[in-house]
Amino acid sequence: MTAAAFLPWLIVAMVLVAAVQIGRRVMLWRAGKTARVDWLAGLKALPRRYLVDVHHVVDRDKSASRMHVPTAGGLVLASGLLVLGLVPALAASRVYWAFVALAFLVMGAGVVLEVRRRYPRALPRLSLGRWQRLPVHLGVFAAGGLLTALLAALGNPLPALSFVTFLAAAAAGLALAGTAGTGPMRHALAGATHLVAHPRPRRFDPASQKGEATGLRPLDLDAEKLGAETPADFAWNRLLAFDACVQCGRCEAACPAFAAGQPLSPKHLIADLAAAAGGGHARPYAGMPYPNERAVGGAAGLDAPIVSPEGLVHPDTLWSCTTCRACVEECPMMIEHVDAIVDLRRFQTLELGAVPMKAEEPLAHSRGCDEPNGRPLFERTDFAAGMSLPRIVEKGEAEVLLWLGQAAYDLRGQRTLKALIQTLNSAGVDFAVLGGQERDCGDLARRLGDEATFQRLARANVETLSRYRFARILTADPHALHVIRNEYPAFGGSYDVVHHTAFLAELVESGRLAPASLAGRAITYHDPCYLGRYNGEVEAPRALLDALGLERREMARSGKRSMCCGGGGGAPSADIPGDTRIPDIRMGQVKETGAKTVAVACPQCTAMLEGVTGDRAEVKDVAELLWEAVEAGRRTPAGAAPARELQPA
Amino acid sequence: MKTIVLLSEAKNPVSGRQQPSRLEAQAIGLAAGLDEAPQGLHAGSSEEGVAAGLGHGLGGLDVVETPAGDDPLPALSAFLRRAFAGDAPPALILCGRRGEGGLETGLVPYLLAEMLGLPILADAVAIRPGEAPETLVVDQAMAKGARRRITVRLPAIVTVHPLAPPPLPFAFGRMRRGEVRRHPAPAADAPAAGTLAGERPHRARPKLMRTAGTASGGANLHVGPEPEEAARLILAYLEDNGIRRYGPA
Repeated sequence: MTAAAFLPWLIVAMVLVAAVQIGRRVMLWRAGKTARVDWLAGLKALPRRYLVDVHHVVDRDKSASRMHVPTAGGLVLASGLLVLGLVPALAASRVYWAFVALAFLVMGAGVVLEVRRRYPRALPRLSLGRWQRLPVHLGVFAAGGLLTALLAALGNPLPALSFVTFLAAAAAGLALAGTAGTGPMRHALAGATHLVAHPRPRRFDPASQKGEATGLRPLDLDAEKLGAETPADFAWNRLLAFDACVQCGRCEAACPAFAAGQPLSPKHLIADLAAAAGGGHARPYAGMPYPNERAVGGAAGLDAPIVSPEGLVHPDTLWSCTTCRACVEECPMMIEHVDAIVDLRRFQTLELGAVPMKAEEPLAHSRGCDEPNGRPLFERTDFAAGMSLPRIVEKGEAEVLLWLGQAAYDLRGQRTLKALIQTLNSAGVDFAVLGGQERDCGDLARRLGDEATFQRLARANVETLSRYRFARILTADPHALHVIRNEYPAFGGSYDVVHHTAFLAELVESGRLAPASLAGRAITYHDPCYLGRYNGEVEAPRALLDALGLERREMARSGKRSMCCGGGGGAPSADIPGDTRIPDIRMGQVKETGAKTVAVACPQCTAMLEGVTGDRAEVKDVAELLWEAVEAGRRTPAGAAPARELQPA
Repeated sequence: MKTIVLLSEAKNPVSGRQQPSRLEAQAIGLAAGLDEAPQGLHAGSSEEGVAAGLGHGLGGLDVVETPAGDDPLPALSAFLRRAFAGDAPPALILCGRRGEGGLETGLVPYLLAEMLGLPILADAVAIRPGEAPETLVVDQAMAKGARRRITVRLPAIVTVHPLAPPPLPFAFGRMRRGEVRRHPAPAADAPAAGTLAGERPHRARPKLMRTAGTASGGANLHVGPEPEEAARLILAYLEDNGIRRYGPA
């Protein structure tokens, strides 16, 4: 009997130990709420989700994908081969052992690459502790397996040594299997199951629009408990998602709140949520702490409140989030951090009324007069006095319904809207506004967890919109765009919503506008999260800026991986203090490009970036830049441009 | 300490929709410090606005359904008389101090005190139980930020000043769970006394430049404090007066 003959049994033992550990974890998941999961479709889609969607994200960090493919591949291959070794005829073949050794060699090569990511010093975003020891365990297992199989392939010349190498492999392998429920290896099964039972299967569907997989789901306001208080209040596949986390820290590196020193790290939060169900962290959390960490009691359990000064997560952590989805975009395990945060916020707001003191005011205004700024609805169109701004109540129908949004109450936002309205008029677009019948879209209330107010506003707006005939809704506010396009369908209103950048790009492309060239100016474009990341619209604004002849310089973080301005998710209302401000960081990135102008496409971004003090780039909405070009084109009619009749002012 | 908060029909100044009055929501907040489940009491034709008081921390709400435009006083006093005669009589009745858009005169607390024979204390910013049983210590707001501490014997009626701590934030779940008990209006007997408020045209009066009775400075005068201490005092002052609302520094 050679030592190698025990290797298949070692794999069997590891599988059994891991099964027991994972089984205990499965019991925890089962404590979560039920969720509708299409298992068959999920299983069928698993290879594609893993090999395409996950790989696409993992591959952004080449060192991670190069490390993971051989490590995981070698481990699975070696284990699979070894299970076949239970057939006595195969176990007697030296060629078979050579193949096993080869598989372990592949795994070993992967482990070497992993070690190079972590030693001598790990990347700052990676967790230490058990995660730092994982390559050691994997390495000892791979080396032990390799030598044992190799010696068997060579005819077992050194039986004593092969027993020693087998024992090393056995110790490391059983250590890995023993922590399959609470340790790093949990990610293997939880990650795969999460891909099958993902709560947002649409995000893997290449045929569906990006926005379909990013809208929040309506909350049943008649439910016994509103929102999530304890781990048991999450759906079971959300608990599963938390367990899938590999603590790679990409979310943390992308998180604007973390960068600004606010007490939020998406990685830490997900680790806390995963730990909460099991009664706290099995070992101390070994990643970077929440910046300016608030002290918490640390009480945890399936039925213990998560967010409270006595629990695992401090309320300030929850309210620091801007819901920019940068963490979700970066997560290789496809975890939906923002959904979890909104679920937790819903409980805080709806059941406890525990919103940050400054956020209560906009919520109270939203409840009392349908506008978070507390201004009367009929004042929404006051800024456009003297402009041609038709109301749909007078026309009954229009080609395009212009949704003004909150920007209409803000002096800076009004400049953008005026530019947009003048551009529409000069292109002869048949448009109208709701005027005093337009209520707030409810974005702020919903992101602050006040689902009741959101649903009331959504129903009221859908009811108003149903009274008029129009083909499309045009808006300059990506938050309104996202909510109306992706979240109103649940309330019976499905509309074709278009952002002004896309609409204006269409007008320019079809020749209805003849902007002059603004060549000679360098600009950079800041992607609004709710347009780029939430709705995948990153090309139209760029096409428009390029059509104006502007020299476009990209920031290091742009497109779907752009950085938030700090204005979303009610974060400015909650106003959790940090070391610096998110817009200051973003403006620093603008400065790095050397552009003197930053083009924006969202009133929130405009407000946040204009709030940056000191010497900074000029903030201009894309609509303002276009209007500038159109006006320049009218002053010096460039031969080809057909003269357009001016609309009466 | 069983506490009842009187609720009036307030209107949102912008939208005109019924909503809870902020002052009464503050009263609920003060009451919540004494009573785990303070009860609301409203006499009127609609509970649309006052029901939100449940979301601000009321444990339950009694609505005496009187026809719109009727004087709520008989209904309120009849209800409270019954409550005082019951086995768990209320110890404290908290109210706002003026109408916010409805038909209120701001006289209800005083007329009620007169009808029920209870002491009334105006403009509370803080309340806590007194050392002796059945007493209440009330911090009363006076002009120029002055405060006066008064101990009253219970039961009593106390009106709340806008400088009282901000109300508990509204929680939809609390409102949904709160119990609303509807009561029919009592049979109208003789019209209650004191409802003969007359109407006369508005007459412009000179603005009061100085109010007698309150000393300026006083407890708030600090000579040569350390800068740190001075900053703390200023912040505390702004906080107390509701100019800055970040919570105690």
